[in-house]
Order: sequence, then structure tokens, then C-alpha cells
Amino acid sequence: MNPAEARKFALNPAHYGLPTRDDLVRLRIWDIHYHGFFNAGIRSHEENLFYVERMGIERMLSLDIAGSPTDPLGTMVSDEKKREMREYLEQHADRVSGLIPIDPSQPVESCRKMEDWIANGPCIGIKYYGGNPGGVVCSHPDNDAIIRLAAELKAVIYIHTWLKIGGQPRRPGGDNERGESTPQDVAILAARFPDVPLICGHSGGDWELGVRAVRRHENVHIEFSGSDPHSGQVDFTVRELGAGRLVWGGHGPSRSYSTELSKVLDADLTQEQRLQIFGGNLRRIAAPIFRQKGYKL
Amino acid sequence: MPNRRDDLQTIDRRSFVKASLMSAALPVAAALTNSKAQAAQTEASGPDIIDCNVHLFDWPFRKLKYARTAALIMKLRKHRITKAWAGNFEAVLNKQLDACNRRLAEECQAHGDGMLVPIGSVNPAAPDWEEDLRRCHAQYLMLGVRLYPTYHGYALDHAELPRLLGEAAKRGMLVQIALRLEDERVHHPALAAPAVDVSPLPEVLKKVPQAKVQLINSAGPLLAGNVGVLVKETNVTFDIAATEGNGGVGRLIEGTNPSYKGAIPASRLVFGSHAPFFPCESALLKLFESPLSLDQMEKLMHANARRLIA
Repeated sequence: MNPAEARKFALNPAHYGLPTRDDLVRLRIWDIHYHGFFNAGIRSHEENLFYVERMGIERMLSLDIAGSPTDPLGTMVSDEKKREMREYLEQHADRVSGLIPIDPSQPVESCRKMEDWIANGPCIGIKYYGGNPGGVVCSHPDNDAIIRLAAELKAVIYIHTWLKIGGQPRRPGGDNERGESTPQDVAILAARFPDVPLICGHSGGDWELGVRAVRRHENVHIEFSGSDPHSGQVDFTVRELGAGRLVWGGHGPSRSYSTELSKVLDADLTQEQRLQIFGGNLRRIAAPIFRQKGYKL
Repeated sequence: MPNRRDDLQTIDRRSFVKASLMSAALPVAAALTNSKAQAAQTEASGPDIIDCNVHLFDWPFRKLKYARTAALIMKLRKHRITKAWAGNFEAVLNKQLDACNRRLAEECQAHGDGMLVPIGSVNPAAPDWEEDLRRCHAQYLMLGVRLYPTYHGYALDHAELPRLLGEAAKRGMLVQIALRLEDERVHHPALAAPAVDVSPLPEVLKKVPQAKVQLINSAGPLLAGNVGVLVKETNVTFDIAATEGNGGVGRLIEGTNPSYKGAIPASRLVFGSHAPFFPCESALLKLFESPLSLDQMEKLMHANARRLIA
């Protein structure tokens, strides 16, 4: 990837009422939802860096370290691949951070993976995928051991949530996958761990419901990537939760950075609030473990 | 029953044309008074944008931030969108499409500030759609119509669709087909409106090759395996409102966007924002996220759309 090439634009975005790349860089954007390493693909990540550079993203937090939706604990990932990934994260700690998928239907094995990759490795957090082989959602008591250990390690906790309409009768969440948590599940978990910051991913997909489901729990932050950009979504979320509880995710390479950036740019916010949402809040959540590991904040 | 013109609040064709011509003439007059330096500056700052995918009023299921026409216009102008082809969200769940079309035309005329181009709605599965189409063309002076198959309850293999496309073509009208308005996963529980299956469209268009068809919100997964045949065997154009992926538009042109099974050349893509449902910044930023050439940007920003309605 040639950074100079990535920074060339045929026209100036400012002439179209858009932030320039320099403006985006000044926003210090941290992306909590980066899929560039999906299926352990360092090569695909490196190809995608062109767009990361072009859109001025400061740091990527990858959610797919040593695991995949069908194999969250990475039992099928070879030792060589794991070693390669570990080395990559250590060498690029100034730009890329790793969250490891865990499996709430296997709490003991999940905790073992956390010890291996967070306590004794380069990673800084855990991710709940949208479902798991055992069909256990994040509100289930089996999660408590995982959350307790995460809190002890000061790990960032990201929980995928959706409310897919379906079922009979049709209801939000009625078409969720087995083990796919809802914002309501996050709210139940948050009540058991009121001092542990939790990130409720995707705003529940149906943000009008998802935001309200977690509103009362001050320790829950809303991340809102991975769904279509709806005008007014971020205005609504800030009104309900305050700008201090939103965390930005890019969901690339499968989603466009434009889609995710536009959700915030559409909202009537102060520059201070934009700085909070695009990275400030995430840096606050991640600060304890970043300091512990000596990573740049 | 003959058309009862007396109970229709018709728009006076002369006043509409006068208003349209005035708004069209204003930039010409301004251009004449511009200095060469100003003209050069405009050229350097890039072309204005035609947005092919805008709606007026509120989405039936949520109040929108830019539902008021004046607010929407101000927002679009801020981003140098100087022409917007506007449908009416009320038509999505309304059986009296003529009333929706009339209101749309009136709103564009009264508050469109010379930049809103009304695009009516017709439902080929409804009785007397021919009259709705005629009124859109002859009475409301519309350049095109927008179809909402999934919300109006028909598929693209509906027997009346080729006839509608043929009639629209005879009138020189563009037909926009909305493949999706809202992600089906977050629909209201009372609504069952799946995304449109485009697979019958290539065969339909073989029967009416003169039809001018544009697919809006034409996301890759909705086009599925039909990209190649639609590009090679039809003249269909596609908007970029729902084009996803990092560098999605550029990769779509190159044929490397994993969401699309095939390439769509820049000559077949148009700028569409799906505002005010989507933030218009989303589609705008897509023009910059990909390393597009100036020529490609100009095609998407205005040239392809102009060609369509020329």
C-alpha cells in the first residue's frame, strides 16, 4: 500500500460539504468493528489498508483474532496461523489491536483463551459473535465467569446484538440466530455487572428499540455499525444516552466507511461530541488495558 | 368513467413550465455574468450533482430529520446537489397514487426552489394504472415514475409490467424500480415486504428494449447473479445509494466488489442518496472513498443522469 496514492483525490471533498482526509485524521477515528482479519486474513487486511489510509482511520480494533463465527475459540486455526497473528499484532500495536471471539456456551475454554491471548498475549478485549454453536446468549449465567475475568484483565467487551424481525407472530428478535444476543440480553448482563463497561454492538440493528433497551444502564455503550445508515439515528442515540456512550465502528471491509461515517456526520453535534464518538469514548474504555500493555492511546 | 378534471387540483401547465424555465434560466443568467476567474474556480471545484434517489415527506414508519421540503433542499444544497429526482414516501403504502403524485408535483412546484424534479408513482398491479401514468406525464409534467413492487404487492414478472414499461417509453419517461427501501430485518412487525427479486427483469426488458429503467437502492445481494446479464443485455442504470464495502463504488466498476457478482461500468452508474432516509453524506463520501478518476466522478455526479433524461 502506497500511502501517497491513497491520499490523492480527483476532487476536494470540502467542495461538497464533506470533511477532507485531514479533517478525518483530526477526529482521531478508532474503529471498534474491523473485519479486515476475517478468517485470519493478514493479506486481505493489508489490501484493505489503502482504504483505511484514505479515510484517515487512526486505529483498527479487529474482532476476529483466532476465531470465526462457526469456530469462535479457534480450535481449527493452526498453531502456525495463531503465531503469525500474534506476531503481527505485536509488530503493529501502534495501529491495530485485537479482540478475541469467545464462546459463552464454553465458558471454561473461553477463559483459557482469554488468559492465553489477553493476559499473556497482545490482545485487549473479547467479542461475542452473532450466535454460537451452543446457542447461549450473553444474559445467561454461564457468562459471569467470562465477564469477571474480562473485568479483572480490564479487557474491552464487545457484544454483537441484533433484533431481526421474524417468528410467529412476527417480533423484533424473532429471527435471531441461536445464541445471538439482543440489547435486552445486554441490559440483563449489565445489571449484574454495573461497574463493567459493555459495548452493545450494532445498536441492536433496530436502533429505535436497541437504544431504549440499554438506556438505563450507564455502563452500556452503543456501537452502531453494520446496518444501513439512517438519518437521525445518531441524533436519537445522543439524545437518549448522551454523546459519552457512543462508540464508532467501521465494519469494513464488508461495509463502506462512507456508510458508517455518514451516520455521525448527519447528526447535529459539536466538534467535541464528534471527537468523543469517533474515538474519545473508546480510548476512555480501553485506557486501562492500553496503559497496562504500554500501547499508545 | 371519464376523467373528472374539475375535481382535480390540476397544476396549470403554463405556470409550471414558466417556473421550470425560470429556474433553468437563472443559472444561465448567472453564468453570463460570471467572470472568467469565477468560471475557472467552479471548474476546479468540480461539477454540481444530480441526485436520482430522493423522497419527500415522512417515511411511513418514522419521522425523518429532513422530511420538511425546505430543510431537505437546504441540506442537499449544502452538498452541491442542485437537482434531485424526488419521489413521494406517501406513495409507498397508499392506494390512491394519483393523490400522492398530485401532492408531490405541487410540493415540487411550490417549494422545490427549482431543484426538485418530481417522480410519480405507478402501480401496474392496480386497476387503471394507465391513467395514473398519463396524469404523471401530461398533467404533472413528470419525467419519470418510480415503482415499489414489494410494497405494492407484485413481482417483476407481473404481466402488466412490460406494458407499463412500453407506455412509459412511448412517453419518453424514465422508470425507476426501488429494489428496497428499508432493510427487511428491521421492518415494522406488521409489514411483510421482502426485497425485490430482479431475476425476471432481463427477460421483461427484451420485450421492451426501448424502456429506460433505473434500479435504485440496487445493493449487490439484491442484484444477485443478474449483474452480468443486466449490464450486457439491457440498458438499465444503477444508483450507488446501497453500494457497500470499503471502496465499494470503485471496486464495483473494476468488478472486484465482493457484494456484486460482476462489474458495472461507470457509464451505467448514477448518484443516488436515498435521502432523507439515508444521510446524503453516505453516497457523497462513496465518491471519495474509492480512488475514482475525474471522468468517472463526472459520470456519476451528473453526466449519466443528464443523458438519461436528455
